[in-house]
Amino acid sequence: MHKIKSTNATRLLFFVAIGVFFFLLSNRVDELRVYQGATLAMYVVAISSLILLTGYSGQVSLGHGALMAIGGYAAALSHEHFGAPIWICFGIGVLAAGAAGAILGTAAARLSGPYLAGTTLALAVGLPSIANQFTILGGEQGLLFDVGFPPESLGPDFTQYKWYFWIAGLSALISIWWLQNLLRSRYGRTWRAIRGNEVAAELCGIHIGRSKTLAFTVSSGLAGLAGALLAMTISTVSPSAFPLALSFSLLTGAVLSGVSTLPGVMIGALTLVATPEIADVIANRIAASESVATNLPGILVSALLILVVLLVPNGPVEQWRASRIRKSANTHR
Amino acid sequence: MFGYNRRKLLVASVVLATGGLTLSAIPAQAFSPRMEVGVSSTEIKLGMTLPMTGTASPGYNKIPSAVKAYFDYVNANGGINGRKITLIAKDDQYVPTLAVAKTNELLLRDKVFALLSPLGTANNKAVASSVNPGRRRVPVLFVNTGFSGFANKKAYPTTFTILPSYIVEAKIMAEYIKDTFPDKKIGLLYQDDDFGDDALAGFKQAGLNFAIKVPYASGAQGIAGVPATWIQKLSGAGAEVVVLFGVSSATGAALGTAAVLKYGPKWILGSVGGDATTIKALGVPAGVLYNATGASFLPATSDTTDEYVALFQDINKKYNNNAVFDNNVLVGMNTAFVTAQAIKAAGTNPTRRSLIMAIEKSGAKFASAGLTPLNFSATSHTGYAGYWFGTYGPTGDLKPNGGAYTVYTTDSANGAVVKSTYKRPAMPTKGLPN
Amino acid sequence: MYTFINTVLIGITSGAIYSLMAIALVLVWRSTRVVNFAQAGQALLSTYVGYACIQQFNSFWLALIVSMLAGALIGAFIDAVLMRTLFRRVSHGPIAGVAPIIATLGLLGLIRAGLGLFVGNQDVIIRPPVSNVGYTVAGHTLAFSPLKLVIVSTSIILMIALSILFAKTNLGLSLRAAAFSPEIARLAGVRVDRIRTLGWAIAGAAGAAAGMLQTPNGNGSFSPDSLDFSLLLVFGFIAAVIGGLESLIGAVLGALLLGLVLAFVLTYISGSLVFITAFVLLILVLLIRPQGIIGAKRGRRA
Repeated sequence: MHKIKSTNATRLLFFVAIGVFFFLLSNRVDELRVYQGATLAMYVVAISSLILLTGYSGQVSLGHGALMAIGGYAAALSHEHFGAPIWICFGIGVLAAGAAGAILGTAAARLSGPYLAGTTLALAVGLPSIANQFTILGGEQGLLFDVGFPPESLGPDFTQYKWYFWIAGLSALISIWWLQNLLRSRYGRTWRAIRGNEVAAELCGIHIGRSKTLAFTVSSGLAGLAGALLAMTISTVSPSAFPLALSFSLLTGAVLSGVSTLPGVMIGALTLVATPEIADVIANRIAASESVATNLPGILVSALLILVVLLVPNGPVEQWRASRIRKSANTHR
Repeated sequence: MFGYNRRKLLVASVVLATGGLTLSAIPAQAFSPRMEVGVSSTEIKLGMTLPMTGTASPGYNKIPSAVKAYFDYVNANGGINGRKITLIAKDDQYVPTLAVAKTNELLLRDKVFALLSPLGTANNKAVASSVNPGRRRVPVLFVNTGFSGFANKKAYPTTFTILPSYIVEAKIMAEYIKDTFPDKKIGLLYQDDDFGDDALAGFKQAGLNFAIKVPYASGAQGIAGVPATWIQKLSGAGAEVVVLFGVSSATGAALGTAAVLKYGPKWILGSVGGDATTIKALGVPAGVLYNATGASFLPATSDTTDEYVALFQDINKKYNNNAVFDNNVLVGMNTAFVTAQAIKAAGTNPTRRSLIMAIEKSGAKFASAGLTPLNFSATSHTGYAGYWFGTYGPTGDLKPNGGAYTVYTTDSANGAVVKSTYKRPAMPTKGLPN
Repeated sequence: MYTFINTVLIGITSGAIYSLMAIALVLVWRSTRVVNFAQAGQALLSTYVGYACIQQFNSFWLALIVSMLAGALIGAFIDAVLMRTLFRRVSHGPIAGVAPIIATLGLLGLIRAGLGLFVGNQDVIIRPPVSNVGYTVAGHTLAFSPLKLVIVSTSIILMIALSILFAKTNLGLSLRAAAFSPEIARLAGVRVDRIRTLGWAIAGAAGAAAGMLQTPNGNGSFSPDSLDFSLLLVFGFIAAVIGGLESLIGAVLGALLLGLVLAFVLTYISGSLVFITAFVLLILVLLIRPQGIIGAKRGRRA
């Protein structure tokens, strides 16, 4: 292999270029696409938090929707009661979900596989109903989370959704860039060592419990950010916005992305946003009856999920990369 | 995607940046609408979001086809000013995130003229603040929720409610109970969220005291053993009259479980969970419902002497595959009926603005099957505000007490409950908008 | 006193229902190390088969047997076609831990949407085979009926029969060996693949029994959108985890504990606390005993 390792500076430049590209793109597409772009960016953050947890530290969470709820509610509460500036609200969302993740992670580090799955599943089922127990959480209709109009300096044609997209897109870029660096650091290597072989990692002097808890905490913090972004795109937080199905669709997204490949995260997010639309188009094209039209999205998503797990279990990006490495190994022999 | 090699990264960055610049150089499409969004010379498009699949969908999933059936009837009779009315219904699975996404699709891609009867309090609230139809000046006609807040014209300038609010229902029900069962012990089963909170506020305002109040968490009615704990608490407190102010599945679970535990108080069903067809479809024997008290603001679904019910049943037969004619179908058709009149009143070339103004100006005079008046005016976006009480027959049909509809009305604030003197005007010819 | 007795009865009968699902989950976990989220879908599909059978022959008991057989076939089919391929292709790496969960979740969605497509989203009804009206003792109606007796006995019979199968027969030995160490079992001449499929089949039958009995115990209606089946899965899973996932007796005890705690909290504290109570109970049990009530110390390594 004759490849030069990319430096931090060029990688940063690359991220800035992606940012510029998307910002320019957001001026050219219609408002619906801009809104979907904001949702896409939210999913990118949420899925990458799950990839960090599952792909890099080998833990399973069925309850990331609940951690997103914590982030969303924390952001909305700090906005409503302390009038905190929007960036601070997002920060508080991250911290609150991270703190909850640290507590849960401490318990979770003792659990593995199905026990962790069960605990996080129960969390996802149980947590949203707390909103109805305390009036401060606003009950079933939830709380408003209005990040406000875009600054006037951006001009009169700058729509609300473009503003959401900028905020979500920037958050996603910063998260991914930061996560890439984190995974290249000592912590990233530690997590991969644990994922590879817990016993061997322990023999190398790695404190398994502490490392797993840290991974859970970081992942929860990111989920909290995603929750605050979700709250922003729908301008409210309410219990029904974080159903069990959300946690499951994040897992779906993670698998479609390839659980252990961060770069594939766009694919997962894009699939989650696009599938219902594709199903709609197909249903319209074949002039389907109502029962076909309502059930087609479910069938498509589920079938896709099963096929991906069976055919490209490590995700399309990983598959492609593996085949390229094989190919280049052949040419250089 | 993030590459291995510095040169590749640089090249990719340059390509991305140039690509972006090129895109931004393409001139924006010139576009000046002559007609209002969603209105063409032949068609007016309306959009609806509601749960069509998932756990909240039973019952409600009958609404879109009922609405479409009435519009098909209107279209077959020449439409409104020569335009067909079409409805695009989208499934939001009762999740606010999806409601926002689907509403955006309706407004920004399908370019509908107005939103019709979107369902659910949390969903409507999320749509109101994120999509913000108020600022886009998009009419939101007749939200399908009893949360009274949506009638607030300041907060939701383009939104109109149609169902009597939960507070109105609770206040009227409280008066009815105090009159009919003065010395009985009263029990209440309610959902422990805003739906129930509104009801509690109404009951409290009307000064009704309960011997026992049993809250339930939304969804818990599907867990084995949970409904039995409700019944045990109600019967343990000796409640002789029990108000079931919950969704259909909870009402059904309470009635069915009470039957197997041989607990038989006088039941009073709230309107949300009081549709006999839905309850029977849940497997509750019709006999359990027999002699229970129910409430409605529309005529009884079995009352074929009512000209509206007769017409809607006829339309249901011809345009809705003869679906079971229940309250969901009736409510859906009536909403479509009122909508058609609003569009007609908005002029030969309706705009979103003229639609809103038409409802504010003449909405109170729109014909409808409702047995209480619509309260639309320049200052009020509130629809119906009254109920009549009836008794379920042996087959589950709700029949008005005393043989005739005695309607009580009130408001969502401090107003008293009064007997309505409203006399519904005759139906327009053939039930078409006039 | 009367309230107390009824609360205990409510706890026991609802525990019996969770236990049927918990047994199914434990069986699959023991034989293939998979948490089978599709179990709710399999139960739903089998219950539809049972419903069709009742329509045809008008006998609940026949339908129960047919539905359990169908459940077994569905379970075996899923393992033989889907899970075996999955295990062949995904044997290591981080995905190996999640792939089965994802696959079974996908299957759950597919079964639901498929049923919605082919049989429609409306409710159908199964009536109870024996009376569900509570027994009367000294003028009080108990929260216990002939139908609930059937449910509790089914749960106990299944637990005992399966325990004997596992502990005393050669087949049970093979099942345990295949789950504990597939390679060694294979060397010892056990047909591991077939034995695992058998585990899935038995679990499918138990899940079908859960669906067929729980449906008439409620109001009798169900549809592809039924919340009841999802909740049955979630509560069955929580019960199984409380019980340690390894043992059938543990599953039943976990389900009983869950049922009783829920009944007492709902009756004596507040009706709002269902989901939170389940979560807190699970966390408490796992904090005190991470391997569940009855779980081998080393058994929790996935």
